[in-house]
Amino acid sequence: MAETRGAPAVKRPETRSLWRRLTWSWTPKGERQAGDAVVRNFLLHWFPHKVSKASLASSYTLWLGTISALLLAILTFTGLVLMFLYVPSVERAYGSIKDLEYAVSFGAFLRASHRVAAHLMVAMVFFHMVRVFLTGAFKNGFGASQSRPVNWWIGLAMLLATLFLSFTGYLLPWDQLAFWAVTVGTNIAKAVPLVGEQIRFFLLGGNEIHQSTLIRFYVLHCVLLPGFLGGLFVWHMWRIRKDGGLAAHDRLARELETVDTPPAKAKTYSLLGITSGRTVAVETSAADVGRHQVESVPGLVARVLLVTLLTFAVISVLAIWVGAPLEEAANPQVTPNPAKAPWYFLWLQELVTVTTVRVGGFTLNGALVGGVLVPGLLLLWAAAAPWLDRSGAVAAGVWFHRERRLANTLFLVVCAVLVVLTLIGTFMRGPYWALFWPWEAWPQHPGWF
Amino acid sequence: MFARDKLWIVIAAALVLGVSGFLIWQEANPGYLGYQREFRRLVEERLGPERAAAVPTGLQQIWLPEADRVDRCTSCHLGVTWQGLDGVEAPYGGHPAGPLEHHPVERFGCTLCHGGQGEATRLPDAHGWVAHWDDPLLDRRLAEDYRLADRWAFLEIKCNACHRYDREIPGAPRMNLARRLVDEKGCRACHRINGRGGSIGPDLERLGEKNPEGYDYGRLTTLQSLLSWQIGHLQSPKTFSPDTVMPEFGFTRDQALSLGLMLRSWTDVSIPIELRPGVVLADVPTAEELERERIMREGEGRFFVEKTCFICHDVSSFGIQSATKIGPDLAVAVDDVPRRFGRTLESFLMEPSGTMQVVLSKQIQLTEQERREAIRLLGIAYQKHLEALEAPDEGASPQ
Repeated sequence: MAETRGAPAVKRPETRSLWRRLTWSWTPKGERQAGDAVVRNFLLHWFPHKVSKASLASSYTLWLGTISALLLAILTFTGLVLMFLYVPSVERAYGSIKDLEYAVSFGAFLRASHRVAAHLMVAMVFFHMVRVFLTGAFKNGFGASQSRPVNWWIGLAMLLATLFLSFTGYLLPWDQLAFWAVTVGTNIAKAVPLVGEQIRFFLLGGNEIHQSTLIRFYVLHCVLLPGFLGGLFVWHMWRIRKDGGLAAHDRLARELETVDTPPAKAKTYSLLGITSGRTVAVETSAADVGRHQVESVPGLVARVLLVTLLTFAVISVLAIWVGAPLEEAANPQVTPNPAKAPWYFLWLQELVTVTTVRVGGFTLNGALVGGVLVPGLLLLWAAAAPWLDRSGAVAAGVWFHRERRLANTLFLVVCAVLVVLTLIGTFMRGPYWALFWPWEAWPQHPGWF
Repeated sequence: MFARDKLWIVIAAALVLGVSGFLIWQEANPGYLGYQREFRRLVEERLGPERAAAVPTGLQQIWLPEADRVDRCTSCHLGVTWQGLDGVEAPYGGHPAGPLEHHPVERFGCTLCHGGQGEATRLPDAHGWVAHWDDPLLDRRLAEDYRLADRWAFLEIKCNACHRYDREIPGAPRMNLARRLVDEKGCRACHRINGRGGSIGPDLERLGEKNPEGYDYGRLTTLQSLLSWQIGHLQSPKTFSPDTVMPEFGFTRDQALSLGLMLRSWTDVSIPIELRPGVVLADVPTAEELERERIMREGEGRFFVEKTCFICHDVSSFGIQSATKIGPDLAVAVDDVPRRFGRTLESFLMEPSGTMQVVLSKQIQLTEQERREAIRLLGIAYQKHLEALEAPDEGASPQ
């Protein structure tokens, strides 16, 4: 940036236009300052000095990973505030949510933004995984000692952590929606062979969903899972740096003409302090990069700021517009009709429905097949993707590379099936689990009056 | 690249600022503030500026920690405890003094008697006529829907929730009527009510908590609701429940409505003891009632109670009293049956005709030995009946 602006001298404030005066920012003068801004700053030190424009492009990543991380940050902040107001006791939980809705200043917005961010995060994390798969970014590219598959597995673990975070949080309002969604989910867990009953007992802290479950889910949701996810996030970021940046960066490095430079000594550290080899960044430091890279400060920082503001805006608007639902207080005696799992498990519930088949006197255990085996196989397939992949390193970091056509098609088909199942479960399942067209009204039963 | 980003950053920041501004404005202008301003103006007009200065601002609430309730109704309904506001329209007007004498607002709140969603601070949430709240405000609209002139009739549901075991509730005529009907019609013969009663019909202890789902509303033409169903069912059980053995009692609509309201009031409302200093806490039968029930359960005629004959028939000389008196008194059956059917009692019981043929084949199953026992007992009953006739002053058999 400093180079294209020509003379390093800055215009005096009075001579600058209004636009300039309103949108001034600090720009480093020269590469040294730009590097220092990153290396000497606690918050920014995880960024590289320079970032390729290909990596920054929204058309490549759609910024999904950043959005997911931002949503996590929003959830952490709103969650912390909520912890001052919510009471994890079966007698008080529902009442504390009602107080949040009506009596606490900005309480309704706080709660709604937490819920909206949670649902969006599950969606964004899923889309991020889809993007990574479709661009082959879980594959190693051209750098030395890369292990992007490790980052892919870390990502899968983060997906599971996100889903479980959302599930544990779903119970906390202790209303009918919460209680019965968790009933459905934990009953499916019961179908795990051999240890199903024990798993359910462990999750619930007993045989019924009661205080033990609530406090258990609360601790998981507020302490253990965020800590776990946070740790994984840090490792995830570290691995990106170790792997030389985003996969798109690899191709850039490959395509550019490199100047032979003597190998520079570089200190690099792995998680356990043992490492080998040099990073890609070192190899390409002498390449003709000026056209293809920007300095992290201000380039990357500006982009992250933009995405942050847009995420805030979207979350706020959705929180005000859609709000967060709250049904009657949880009543173990009354099952809602229909009783549905949270939307991100509706595909699972539909699978269970579809695989519960009655043949004569024999009933296939849908909970086992659709609820445990199929999702388990999907997870195994996702984890095995780096090994099953037959394409070359050239396919890493490209959308829909022709060498990965089959894999991408298969993946998209599976995703489409999951999405369709989710849509069916959301819009087409009505009372008694009967199928209704989305525009068909469900039969309403009268109330007491 | 960076320059374009700057523009987008400014746009996004403006968006965020706009949304934040809206939120702050929304928070600073809750609905109840408007009502408080209007109330202050009203008070100043009617009662002078000094009294107007005492009108509170901001969220008002009555918190009952023992009852686990908080009622924020007084944020808008400010005139509830004020004097001198007669004739003022809701929500600014006062409250009739009578009920407040024993149920002051500071100790009881509002929703215990009126229903509604006390925690809410926005209409319509506060009045409770919203999805997922099943304790709505018992207001004028209900009286109109059920065609009652008295717009406070439905409040008696709430009276009965606490005063359930009182013999009589002053100021709750429908509940008192319902109690009398329960005693007169002998509902306890088949139903467990307030802890005592039979088991032929369902236990009515918490009938008010019944889930409206699962009932057949096809028979209701105008108002479809569980309360309507209950009222219709009381007036004509077989229409709403074809397989029932519940008899037709000939209730008027008003009687059925009062009973229906009482049924709705039978819920497990955990009102702490501090709020019920003088209230009766259990349905304690009188000594008379106990003795009557003991004779029926353990006396000579207990056969006719066990076999449920007493639903329709008295057996007066054994002290067995029927709730419904649909059939004749069996104490005179030895004499009565030949007159009606031209056969002996023994022949009739062994091979009944008419109604009894239906009853003894479907509803009451008696083995041959049991029928013989019945015949034997009826003979004794007749003897006792004749003895009582001969010596009426001695009053040997309880009537």
